[in-house]
Amino acid sequence: MTDELRNRLSRLDPMASDVPTEPVTTESSQHLLEEIMTTPNLEQPGSSDSPNKRPWIAAVAAAAVVIVAIAAVGLLSGDGGGDPIAATPPLELNAGGEDIMASCIAFSVEYLAPMPVAFEGTVVSAVGDTVTLDVDTWFKGGDAAQVVLNAPQGLEALIGGFPFEEGTQYLITASEGNVNYCGFSGESTPEMRAAFEEAFGS
Amino acid sequence: MNSDIERRQRFELVAAKVYEPLQRYLRRRATPDDAADALSDVLLTVWRRLDNVPPDIPLPWCYGVARRALANQRRGRQRHLRLVERMTTEASTSPAHEVDDPALEAALSELTESDQELLRLWAWEQLEPREIATVLQTTPNAVSLRLTRAKAKLESKLRRQDPFTAGQKRDRHTEEHRP
Repeated sequence: MTDELRNRLSRLDPMASDVPTEPVTTESSQHLLEEIMTTPNLEQPGSSDSPNKRPWIAAVAAAAVVIVAIAAVGLLSGDGGGDPIAATPPLELNAGGEDIMASCIAFSVEYLAPMPVAFEGTVVSAVGDTVTLDVDTWFKGGDAAQVVLNAPQGLEALIGGFPFEEGTQYLITASEGNVNYCGFSGESTPEMRAAFEEAFGS
Repeated sequence: MNSDIERRQRFELVAAKVYEPLQRYLRRRATPDDAADALSDVLLTVWRRLDNVPPDIPLPWCYGVARRALANQRRGRQRHLRLVERMTTEASTSPAHEVDDPALEAALSELTESDQELLRLWAWEQLEPREIATVLQTTPNAVSLRLTRAKAKLESKLRRQDPFTAGQKRDRHTEEHRP
């Protein structure tokens, strides 16, 4: 059944193997490679502060979000590759307790838009008081591949919160390092995504 | 100087392995122009990070870089929310792509974007969970779990999208049990 599904899906591939691509041997391909090889090799292996990361760090610092470099994503991947550009540390946020939205103002796109951190992510683990999400889309406030939510009182103690289930996709906003509830974060639904798109889209 | 020559040779070997598969990966997910830009970005990263590229199986690592390159493009141009929609339109109007399985396409489109992407990496790039984990920067276990669920969700949607096929299966099943 799995093989059948895989084969059936592969027939939807718009770039299946019978669709031509440009071989590496053509003049224009070789020109591109040659151009790249004349670029100075700026990075040293193990460099942890590539220029790519700086705008993100500045933006998040301005948003007063707590960032803790608990582990490089390369380490989490277990492949030992240690890709420096993949090493944007997970964004760490607090979940649960008295969040700033505890008064539960009425949900509206108007209130959603100023949130400094907003993303859509899929829970890859929810263990103890920690939820780890793979970020599928950053709307605002970061570019880490993963976000870690800490609920010091335990996930069960979330006030006005919602359960986090592995494999489920959520839309999350945060202010001042805290996850917002009361409709400003929750399981991803087409309606909620539309609101996020309206609030943060171009 | 020798190390420069050696470095160029290593890069050319990796480039030869990934050049065409990367074009496919990018053109599945982006417009031709964006795919071309991202291809240059990925190759530049390969050149600069050559010591980090797994020499035997460089593709998953390169797909991971490509994924981030596309994400950066989307963010940089403030249009990330429209791209999927545009890609879907372009894919369905592409002369090379004739959809002959509308039920599956409809079922797939009902899944979340992350589930769809998992299934694409599995079926289109033909990657295994360990390799998908490299692309998505997560663990093979997490990928296996999510992939199993995504497949189950797709099959469930498919059963609803495709009542004719489901009906055929039911009929066969009924007939098998007739005396």
